Amino acid sequence: MDELRVTAKLEVLSSIGAFVLKAAENAGLDRRAAYRLRLAVDEMATNIIVHGNPLEHSGDDEIRLTSEMNDQSLTITLEDRGPEFNPLEHETPEGHIDKPMEQRPIGGLGVFLAIRGVDRFLYERVNDRNRSTFIVHRPATTGNGR
Amino acid sequence: MAFSATAEVTNGIARITLDGELDASSAPDFKAAIEKVAADKPRRLVLMLEGLEFMASAGLRVLIFAKQKLGSGTDIYVVGARPAIVETLEMTGFQHSVVMLPAYDAAQIEG
Repeated sequence: MDELRVTAKLEVLSSIGAFVLKAAENAGLDRRAAYRLRLAVDEMATNIIVHGNPLEHSGDDEIRLTSEMNDQSLTITLEDRGPEFNPLEHETPEGHIDKPMEQRPIGGLGVFLAIRGVDRFLYERVNDRNRSTFIVHRPATTGNGR
Repeated sequence: MAFSATAEVTNGIARITLDGELDASSAPDFKAAIEKVAADKPRRLVLMLEGLEFMASAGLRVLIFAKQKLGSGTDIYVVGARPAIVETLEMTGFQHSVVMLPAYDAAQIEG
């Protein structure tokens, strides 16, 4: 298992992206799957950073990522100590997609891309943390990885 | 990896070239480029995306801002976007609000 711990600031998004792309490469994901996974994690991390109201300077404003794979899938988890936020309960913009963009509510796009970008998305509240889990199937030909 | 947004306005056509990664930390630079060209009241906005490697929803929000700022009479062209970025625009329905072109088409854009 690989792990990344970063402070909840927008400047860390590129490090999070690099961490996810490395995991995707190790898991043998194709470019499209890797991009969508990276986008999904980026969107959820952005949500945490922008809306999570982390307890600054207390050491609790930390985002923790892990990556783990088995023969079938790659799993990325993202944890934060912000207020409880279940992305699955937040309306996706599906009902608005056919409207001209200037007439749509601005929120919700990120959560939509996060949930739709992976094969399985899970949310849990554990030990006063939000934990999002992103699961992507690995290509069948990849075998056991490296 | 670093993001840049380069803006110019010629004969009423605003062109903004985006390179690198457009996420929530770099989106303010894109927004500033929109504000800069909006001052010239362009009749077209052309976004040159060949060099854009990544675009998060923060970039989509700037597109909405651009539409609001420039008004619905200003057409927005998205030129040369990579397949992954085209897919994001399509998943979120933005292809209905912008004109997507594989390459710069002077006859269509400047006509």
